Amino acid sequence: MRRLLDIIRRSFSARLSLWVLLWAALIFIGSLIYVSVVTRRSIREQTITGATRVLENTELRLNRILDDVENMADNLEWLVYRHLDSPESMLEYSRTALQGNHDLIGCSISFEPDFFPGYHYFSAYTSRADDEVVTTQEGNDDYQYFYLDWYLLPKILNQPCWTEPYSDWDYDDDATLQTDMMVSYCKPLTGDDGSFIGSISLDLSLKWLSETISAVKPYTGSYCTLLSRGGTYMVHPNPEKLFYQTIFTRSLVDPDPERDGLGHSMLDWNTDFQEVMLDGVDSYVFYKPLKNTGWSLAIVCPEKTIFGSFNRIRRILSTLLILGLLLMFFSCIRVVGRSVKPLRELAAEAGRIASGDFEHRIPRIDRSDEIGALSRSFDDMQSSLVSYIDELKSTTVKRERIEGELRIAHAIQMAMVPTVFPPFPERKELDIYASMTPAKEVGGDLYDFFLLGDSLYFCICDVSGKGIPASLVMAMMRNLFRVYAKQGQSPLEISMSLNDNLSEENEHMMFVTAFFGRLDLKSGLLEFCNCGHNPPVLIPADGGAPAFLECEANTVIGVCPGWKYKGQSIKDFRGCKLFLFTDGLNEAENCSHEQFGDQRLLAVLNRQQRASAEDTVREMIDALSDHVGDAEASDDLTILCLGLSAGKKQK
Amino acid sequence: MKNGRHILAILTLAALMPAALCQAQTKKSELDTFIFSPQWSAQAQFAGYYVAKEKGFYEEEGLDVQIVHPFSTQTAEDRLRRGVSHAATLTLTEAMSIVDDGLPLVNILQTSMNSAILLVSRYGGDPMKLRGAKVVTWRAGFGQTAKCIASQSHLSYQWITAASCVNLFIAGAVDATLAMSYNEYNQLLQTGLIKPGEGVYRFSEHGFNIQEDGVYMTRTAFNRSRSKAEAFARASRRGWEWAAEHPEETLEIVMEYVRSMRIPTNRILQSLMLDEILRLQLDPDTGTRDFRLRPDMVRQASGLMAKEGLLSREVKYEELLP
Repeated sequence: MRRLLDIIRRSFSARLSLWVLLWAALIFIGSLIYVSVVTRRSIREQTITGATRVLENTELRLNRILDDVENMADNLEWLVYRHLDSPESMLEYSRTALQGNHDLIGCSISFEPDFFPGYHYFSAYTSRADDEVVTTQEGNDDYQYFYLDWYLLPKILNQPCWTEPYSDWDYDDDATLQTDMMVSYCKPLTGDDGSFIGSISLDLSLKWLSETISAVKPYTGSYCTLLSRGGTYMVHPNPEKLFYQTIFTRSLVDPDPERDGLGHSMLDWNTDFQEVMLDGVDSYVFYKPLKNTGWSLAIVCPEKTIFGSFNRIRRILSTLLILGLLLMFFSCIRVVGRSVKPLRELAAEAGRIASGDFEHRIPRIDRSDEIGALSRSFDDMQSSLVSYIDELKSTTVKRERIEGELRIAHAIQMAMVPTVFPPFPERKELDIYASMTPAKEVGGDLYDFFLLGDSLYFCICDVSGKGIPASLVMAMMRNLFRVYAKQGQSPLEISMSLNDNLSEENEHMMFVTAFFGRLDLKSGLLEFCNCGHNPPVLIPADGGAPAFLECEANTVIGVCPGWKYKGQSIKDFRGCKLFLFTDGLNEAENCSHEQFGDQRLLAVLNRQQRASAEDTVREMIDALSDHVGDAEASDDLTILCLGLSAGKKQK
Repeated sequence: MKNGRHILAILTLAALMPAALCQAQTKKSELDTFIFSPQWSAQAQFAGYYVAKEKGFYEEEGLDVQIVHPFSTQTAEDRLRRGVSHAATLTLTEAMSIVDDGLPLVNILQTSMNSAILLVSRYGGDPMKLRGAKVVTWRAGFGQTAKCIASQSHLSYQWITAASCVNLFIAGAVDATLAMSYNEYNQLLQTGLIKPGEGVYRFSEHGFNIQEDGVYMTRTAFNRSRSKAEAFARASRRGWEWAAEHPEETLEIVMEYVRSMRIPTNRILQSLMLDEILRLQLDPDTGTRDFRLRPDMVRQASGLMAKEGLLSREVKYEELLP
């Protein structure tokens, strides 16, 4: 199953075919159900109409038979009353009845015991066997007719009535027992005073009646049945039921409310139809009472007979539908599979390209449909891809070269600044440490220092912009700083010289913020000139709080040629520390775009008053790292810290 | 009907007698044959006798038993009185009526230990409250007990005697009918006119549990062929015991008789009848199949009938014993 699902998941044609099959099945099955329901309803209505018509015709036919019998009884009654003084006439009248109505098999004109003088029993009876009509007086000690139904019923009810089915028996010439089931129409005879004097009984053979009615079959497999007042089957195609069972017999051991309901409804003389299971067969039963008899006539139509043709057609349609859907499914798989075969090939070829074989040529599909367009697009894409890859290779080579050069530039740049600490081991009074971290391979920051006699020249600069242009300016700044410094210029003079120099032909308007200083290690005199750079922090010798150094508002270098810079000085720097930095420190942002800021900077320095320059710088870098976290550095970071020991001052 | 002999028999009571037996019975009865007449047409009420015959129990006793059913208008009693049957089944009350009438009878086998008589109302209520109602009873005379009780209860029933009770009930000609729990009651149930347990008065549940079916012979016939009578009783008892142990096979035998005699009945009715008959054979006190006449029941039936004038004197238990 999992394998099948896997195939379906991976096969576009199987998936598409399944969807087509699903929707086609839904549409076809829905249509089939709709047609089935409508057709079935129509057949059902036709059945009801047809069966009702047949039932009414059968009822008319039966009523004609029964009416003839009842009319014969009326005629006999008239004759009997005219000759009540002549018992012999009764024999003749009884014979006349059978000769006048060939449906009858027997006629009895019977009287109360001792009604006729000289006769204790008198029952004039005529019966028909084959074509022979036999008349006898049959009352005797062995045959006391006045205890029998056909005599007692009209006597007790005092009105004409039909009996329940009963059996008649006799022996034929071979002394073989012969029986016949019959019903009798009985009519009471009354004397002048209204008292009962006897009865007329006319017998109908149920076998004959059953054969007559059983011929009525509105549908193949349907049958007609007739229930007596007591539910006995007077007409039924099943010999085991006919005369021997009632509609309730089965319920004695296996009650069935549906079947019993049908029986009660029929015996209540209702006219109706009902869907019910009879003898394990779903059937439609149409029934109506027969007048004056208490009997109920019914036509039973098995559902499979009524809907036989319909069910057969539906089965055929269903089979065709299933076969059609399967055919459609497999055809769909085949057609779609054939259609997407170029796609599979395309996918395979594309896979080769994806694996790195960019030169592999995709076979061209000469089709004008979407797949052809896709193939052409793939072809174009491959050409573009090859060109792009070639270009990328070239670009990559160039970039690698540039990166290599940048790495060299970085090394050169880092070599430009002092990186060995302590730089002047012999000058124990001087404590200096610096750090520079470019944001890119090369940066625009600069720090530098060197000794010229007892004077320590130092500077920190920040060139506008980043990268190679800034680094070139930085290199130029470093060289010019050293040249001017070695000429013995003061920081103010260096600032002005550099400004004039950089301002010339500064088409790109690149500028530099800088802080130049010269510290006399003997006297502790610190001269400095701040050219638009962040004011450094002075950590005083007296243990006071670190504070930003008050600096003149000089402009940056490289923008305004001839600018009159103002220099400043601290007479005795001994015991103090000066912390210089670029804006890569105080303006560094964390992921929340929160800057490191001056306050954090001062707080760190406050904790590092007694620390060495190196520890101060490292602690500051650590604090900055904690603050920035995973945020990418956006600017070069340069820190320079220098201090002059107080011991020199004491000397 | 060609021979002119015409008998109308009620559907449920059709009594059919094989022609050969009918013609030969008189001659053979005094020879080695034993003519036995159940009091009704072929049905499971007489299953034990059919079993005894079909299983060869009678032959093993040296008897050639011929089972001859009566006509609906010629009862087993008639056959017994006329001497055309050696033995016949009768109810206890019928037997006492005959003895009271001057014909001494001997009970050679008592099968019933309980009363099966019911009174069934067509209206569903208590039938013992239908004063003045038309109630149908059998001509065969099984209804003596019911008549006595109705008389004692001053119900003033209009008794209608018929060869068959069921069809008058179905036709609405009567208000109530006597019925046997094993026969007519099931027939009435299968008409759908009554519901099980409704409108039924069981005499056995109201202090009138009197034995019914037993096999009787005239004392004269018994004295003449005592050994045959005892052999018949032994084999018949064996037949009943076998029937109780093999109800399904017994039903098959019954249905063979029913079919051969074209009795308009069905297997379900006969199955229910067999079950009920076998139940009625259990002694109400011991729960066993004793096949004995009970003196207390004879005394109760005799006293009841004598009091109501159905007997001119009380018939003693001992009078019925062999």
